[in-house]
Amino acid sequence: MPEVSKMKKPDVKIVLLGDMNVGKTSLLHRYMERKFKETVSTVGGAFFLKQWGPYNISIWDTAGREQFHGLGSMYCRGAAAVILTYDVTNWQSLAELEERFLSLTDTANHDCIYALVGNKADLTDSKAQLCQDSDGLVKDRTECNEECEVPSGCPTPPASPTSLPGVMLRKQVINEDAVTLYGRILRYKGLEEKSSLPAEKMCFETSAKTGYNVDTLFETLFDLVLPSILRKRQENQQSPTVDLEECRMVGSKKGRSGCC
Amino acid sequence: MKVSVDIRHSVQHGDGTKPDWDGIMETANHQEGEAAAVKIGDSPLESNQPADSLAASFSLLENHMFPDPVESNGSAAVSRIEPVNSQPPDVSAEHLGLDEKPPSDQVMKLDPEKTKTECQNDVSMQPADGTTEDDATDNDQSDSGEFVVTMLAKAKLEEQGIGVKGRSSPLLEAGTQESSSFTSHRDEDVTADSWRQHRKHVFVLSEAGKPIYSRYGSEEALSSTMGVMMALVSFVQSGDNIIRSVYSDEHTVVFLQKGPLVLVCVSSSRQSEQQLQGELLYVYYQIISMLTQASISRIFEHKKNYDLRRLLAGSEKILDGLLNLVDSDPSFLLSAVHCLPLASSLRDSLSQILQKAITPNLVFSILIAKNQLLTIVQEKTVIEDSRLEPADVHLLLNLIGASSAFQAGEIWTPICLPLFNPDCYFYAYISYLDPPECTVCLLLLSTDKEAFYSVAECKRKIEEAMMAQNSLSLIAKAGTYSVSQVGVSDLRHFMYKPFDVPDNYRQLTQFTSPEMEAPYSSEEEKMRLLDLYRYMHGRIHSTSRPLKLIYHVAERETLLAWVTSKFELYTCFSPLVTKACAITAITKLLRWIKKEEDRLFIRYPPKYSTTPNPSKSSRGGKSDQQDSTDNGFLSLL
Repeated sequence: MPEVSKMKKPDVKIVLLGDMNVGKTSLLHRYMERKFKETVSTVGGAFFLKQWGPYNISIWDTAGREQFHGLGSMYCRGAAAVILTYDVTNWQSLAELEERFLSLTDTANHDCIYALVGNKADLTDSKAQLCQDSDGLVKDRTECNEECEVPSGCPTPPASPTSLPGVMLRKQVINEDAVTLYGRILRYKGLEEKSSLPAEKMCFETSAKTGYNVDTLFETLFDLVLPSILRKRQENQQSPTVDLEECRMVGSKKGRSGCC
Repeated sequence: MKVSVDIRHSVQHGDGTKPDWDGIMETANHQEGEAAAVKIGDSPLESNQPADSLAASFSLLENHMFPDPVESNGSAAVSRIEPVNSQPPDVSAEHLGLDEKPPSDQVMKLDPEKTKTECQNDVSMQPADGTTEDDATDNDQSDSGEFVVTMLAKAKLEEQGIGVKGRSSPLLEAGTQESSSFTSHRDEDVTADSWRQHRKHVFVLSEAGKPIYSRYGSEEALSSTMGVMMALVSFVQSGDNIIRSVYSDEHTVVFLQKGPLVLVCVSSSRQSEQQLQGELLYVYYQIISMLTQASISRIFEHKKNYDLRRLLAGSEKILDGLLNLVDSDPSFLLSAVHCLPLASSLRDSLSQILQKAITPNLVFSILIAKNQLLTIVQEKTVIEDSRLEPADVHLLLNLIGASSAFQAGEIWTPICLPLFNPDCYFYAYISYLDPPECTVCLLLLSTDKEAFYSVAECKRKIEEAMMAQNSLSLIAKAGTYSVSQVGVSDLRHFMYKPFDVPDNYRQLTQFTSPEMEAPYSSEEEKMRLLDLYRYMHGRIHSTSRPLKLIYHVAERETLLAWVTSKFELYTCFSPLVTKACAITAITKLLRWIKKEEDRLFIRYPPKYSTTPNPSKSSRGGKSDQQDSTDNGFLSLL
């Protein structure tokens, strides 16, 4: 990633929020590095840059711990999208989103997009146990199988029970609950349900472990924040100074990324 | 179930009172609805009775922490209590309750003389023939709610479940920590024998007796044990004394009270009380570095029985990592920082790179490789005010080491440096410069919460400059050195901590030490050598009889420790070395260190100026800038 780090200011900001141990870091890691690994509890917030076509998207992976709660609104400032993450096997993690995390998004953009993500779907859903990674499907599948055999493969020992292949856990949060919460979020934000993005589109169930729905989640969001990037660019163009470096970079990086 | 306890009071008369457990249980039964039920005699004349209760509490703790499962002949417990008031303890019908707060503001040293309460506890546990566990459980149930009895029954049950007697090396645990970090010590069975075999236990609890942290096993499972600990602390406190340590044959129990937190260490490592206390202080500082002292006091002022684990959840690994490091890294023992040996020209060029990449409110730029310091650049006015203490650097290094999440992306997190200022936060930017290897780490500390993007920009500059100078590959070649470079045949290992610091640069205390090589290559042997060093260190720094020079002939090696006004030196020789030989070797060693000084130490830490108004970055100014609302804990209260 050294070339990424040399890039200029990001165009748009996406923030991952949610209770500790729901798998925020694992989700991002699965998307960025295309693998699942054991993570430790995040300290503060971690900043990542993702190149999406000609755009630089910054993703903030925040700590879910109460200790860092006060920082949440800072990480959310000016965010174009917020990913509210919960654990499908833990009802409380969904409740926490409304109680603890929703108010943090007050500092986000007015047109901020909200996504509700139920992670650890592989623990409750057999279809989520299949790998969904678009690239290297075969390789990844064997990798997953290996991971599944390791009982300690669960990233978050205290909150989530370890998964054994074939043994399904009780799903505590069904998609309908998330859809209802999504409605309440829109109301909290004072947004019209009709003019906003539909709940069916913005509620996801994912598995960072198998990669189920992870790419879909991030790529859907990236596409949705594009208008906000373009608007921001337009505003910048109206300013008298022209950022030559940015233009050059757009040209050189375009061919490299394989998403568009 | 038949249990008899013989408590002899050596302070009084040889055959003193001999209460048995049934007696104590009876007393306990009279106390209805009390959590802790050790009663203190109501007549001041019967001064032996509180001491007996105290002894009983000790033995309760002993039973749970380290019962002697096979031959329960007796364990001598010596408790050292620091007198803070020469007044005789007031023993007027007081209950040793967990919720009672003795006045703590009278803590002052009036009497330098130390009272030593020596209690000889003959705890003989004789499970009668045919006793089944059911009996014990019955007992337990009939007296449910009675603290002492529950404890006793628990200890009893544990007695019967004697497991495999095997000592587990803490270093081995530290080694496997990485891989098995998720099936960690949190899930350990606290009633198992293996739990009691751990070399060093550390517990943190609140003044209300609420468990906050345990190194091994879950805090919930240990709440009764921690209750007994708190009972001991508050019992001694009720006599306007402070409990410092309890000694038994096998273990040393050290107590440290810091604000609303009580830290307890139960160790079989044979370290001195001062050393163990120092380690507990590190644990306290690590907690402070995550929460700040101000917010901890505020939280407990508002709610005495607040469960601090809510805020520390997720940080257990950082504390675990610290304790493993304390056991395996001599930096903590020496209170000095180990820096990576580096050609002084390279170190200077790295410092210059850091010096150039600045932004307002940046106060420290630190470069770390292989968990050792490469260089450190500080804000000018900060140096004038105070210097960075080794302990703060240790906490930073531990934070980086304990969080593998740092290996990807750029981290922005609040952190408090407790010795610099225990009440406010710095904002730390942490990023690895050589992904995916992740050995070279950049740490930038700012006082501005919002400065992430400008601080991240500094990293870009540093990265570019390092790329241009090819610094990364040069750093990769640097590493620890071998003792053979000194050229003294009998010398196996040493640790050298100089005190001679150039006056203008009140620099970080550092030490240098070669790699531990054969015969100290295995983890066990490394630990054994460190234990020997700890023993020497303990003797040198003994409060009662400090020493300047020790020549110690151990079983498999000979050690020499020497403290002067200029340095502190610990050396390890082969066992057959003579005294004269060792002295010559040390002269040679000192000459070698002098010659290599520029490579082994950070000689002149450079500085920069990032604040236009110097008064702003002073210590006082900083606490103004970062008012306490920054940390976000107010929202919890």
